[in-house]
Amino acid sequence: MHTIKVKIADLAVLRSEGLLITIGLGSCVGIALYDAESKVGGLAHILLHRSSQFGNRTNTFNPAKFADTAIPVLIKKMEKIGGRRKRFMAKIAGGSQLFNFRKSTGISIGEKNIEVVRQTLHELKIPLRGEDVGGNFGRTMRFFVDSGKVLITTMGRGDREL
Amino acid sequence: MKESIINKDKLDVLKELANIGVGNALTSLSQMLNEEKVEMDVPVATLAPLQDVPDLLGGEELPVAGIYIESHGDINLTILFVLSLESAANLVSVLVPGSQGEFNEMGLSALVEVGNILTASYLNALSFMTDLKLLPSPPVIAVDMSAAIISTVMAEAHIVDDEVVLLKTFLKSKQSHISGHILILPDVGALDSIFTLLGAR
Repeated sequence: MHTIKVKIADLAVLRSEGLLITIGLGSCVGIALYDAESKVGGLAHILLHRSSQFGNRTNTFNPAKFADTAIPVLIKKMEKIGGRRKRFMAKIAGGSQLFNFRKSTGISIGEKNIEVVRQTLHELKIPLRGEDVGGNFGRTMRFFVDSGKVLITTMGRGDREL
Repeated sequence: MKESIINKDKLDVLKELANIGVGNALTSLSQMLNEEKVEMDVPVATLAPLQDVPDLLGGEELPVAGIYIESHGDINLTILFVLSLESAANLVSVLVPGSQGEFNEMGLSALVEVGNILTASYLNALSFMTDLKLLPSPPVIAVDMSAAIISTVMAEAHIVDDEVVLLKTFLKSKQSHISGHILILPDVGALDSIFTLLGAR
């Protein structure tokens, strides 16, 4: 099977068949978008929530790093290979809090990521059809583009299908 | 072609700082292991693409224990001590008499304590050499996939530039079969301070 590995702060799209995989989501969030009719799928692995809140020393900008900029780019890429935005739906995973900070005040980075992912999807009118988020453990996400099935695997916490 | 945030001379300076600091940490670890000899490889200072960092410790889905410490004060450093699960269990069984190396509360807090001592001795050496005030936060621990731990630490520490400066040291004790990596991630401001202080260009 044609497989594309999506690294951290990265995104990729496929059409008809193949596997998009992202490994070891901790506080990061994996966002799978799918158009069931054209079988166009896209997967992004974001590290942080909003681009405006983090500076960048290098003069390049990688939109795939942030929830609010990665999702629009992913949508465009999917449209380019035949996806129809109206039909897109989303499945997301990750956003956990691996470390138990004693100082922990308020909301964790993982929760913040999930919040902004949901918000961005809502603003772009993409329905959220499945999620496996939060908790205190890491996840690997496999997205099968022929069926739209998303498989979540963990270390010792079982597997789950979205 | 974009400009790199650091050059080779500067990486060499960092490597030397890692060498001295980690050497000191190793002595502490050896004391915890009843004077057993602990060896280390020469520290590596590299500039890696952000996207490759989670895979730098030999396998993204490798089950590991990660002990994470942030140091603030004059400069900000992120320190991560990563042990394979097997090594972590071996370390627990040396440190907690009568245990089988299980990751219960006692085992985990023994590992956290190792992180504490290693970091304190590393930072002491660094502080002694540079006169910088370094204030470590209490260590926290997670047992999970290697990539999940590393990427979470980067997000927590706001190490999100496209290129990441990192110091990596591999250490190993033969007799009790413990091996692991010490990763040090200075933030961008920390690098500027260190180089100004040491006059590196």
